[in-house]
Amino acid sequence: MKRSFQFAITLLALLAMSGFAWSAQAQAPAAEPATTAVTEPPAADAAAPAPAAPDTRGLDEEIQSIKKDVVDLNRDLFVLEEELLFPANTQVAVFLSMDVGEFFALDTVELRVDDKQVAKYLYTPREAEALLKGGVQRLYLGNLRVGNHELVALFTGKGPNGQDYSRGAQLKFEKSVGAKYLELKIADKQRKRQPEFEIKDWE
Amino acid sequence: MLGAALCGAAEPSYRLLGQSAPDFALRATSGSNFRLSEHRGEVMLVAFWGSRCGQCGGQLAALSRMVDTYHSAGLAAFAVNVDDNQVAAAEFAMVHPVTFPVLLDPAKSIARQYQVDNLPMLLLVDRAGVIRYVHRSYRSGSDAQYLDQIKVLLDE
Repeated sequence: MKRSFQFAITLLALLAMSGFAWSAQAQAPAAEPATTAVTEPPAADAAAPAPAAPDTRGLDEEIQSIKKDVVDLNRDLFVLEEELLFPANTQVAVFLSMDVGEFFALDTVELRVDDKQVAKYLYTPREAEALLKGGVQRLYLGNLRVGNHELVALFTGKGPNGQDYSRGAQLKFEKSVGAKYLELKIADKQRKRQPEFEIKDWE
Repeated sequence: MLGAALCGAAEPSYRLLGQSAPDFALRATSGSNFRLSEHRGEVMLVAFWGSRCGQCGGQLAALSRMVDTYHSAGLAAFAVNVDDNQVAAAEFAMVHPVTFPVLLDPAKSIARQYQVDNLPMLLLVDRAGVIRYVHRSYRSGSDAQYLDQIKVLLDE
């Protein structure tokens, strides 16, 4: 990401320089009357028609177009980098979503894959609110070999009565060739008046 | 001028100056969690402090006054405590109350990320999230310097 950003910045600088050179060329003819005006009498200079203001609209459009190109290039590089770092055949992504949240206020989620901590995320009230409004967070993106694996998610927060609450969820899954997407889902179980933690495998 | 030059020469360089402030989320003494990136668009003061630090109380009080004054203009602050002993941190925070969140970093992971090598250490982060100024001590006259820099960042 950083590399692609630096590349994009370099490209932007080069394009800006070329734009500057172009504008310098465009302004060069306008400089000539200024030097010649010194030799001409002042009256003749005043009578001469004022040089037309350079049309900057075209330049603005060109700058906007270059900016758009840079943004597009940055996006392509980001996608390319992600494809290189997390190739489809080994990629594993874990998402988090929340439904309702009456019985659980999310504070932290810790993810362990094959007994190794891969992610730990502390949620601010604003982030928890965004999840409650239907947001889905990509909590982890990594690589796993083909075979059997175990995902454990530990959720901490405030439970039904505002007390500290901690629960875990576990999923044993088989990673085949191709990307694997898993979803951690926190929902309210109205019947038991308790939160429910589930790990879903998106086939 | 010579004094300033000598001071500048003596001040060790800070590698993160001019770079984006690394994002972090920490729990506050109030129990809420706070994330730095949620304050993008505001001028942020990030003050690292410890309960054994003699200058920290004075600095926090000064920063609290500044945040009170310039909060409406977009100034906010975090006081990041790096004590192992969270009880001592909480007691210190009660004796030196501030109007902004006091965050706890007992593992010092954020302090390491920010290369904190002295206490108090104050970072001034601009509205774009770039670390613009760093102060590794607090003495008389520091307030005026902080204010000048804060005003520059608020005006941008």
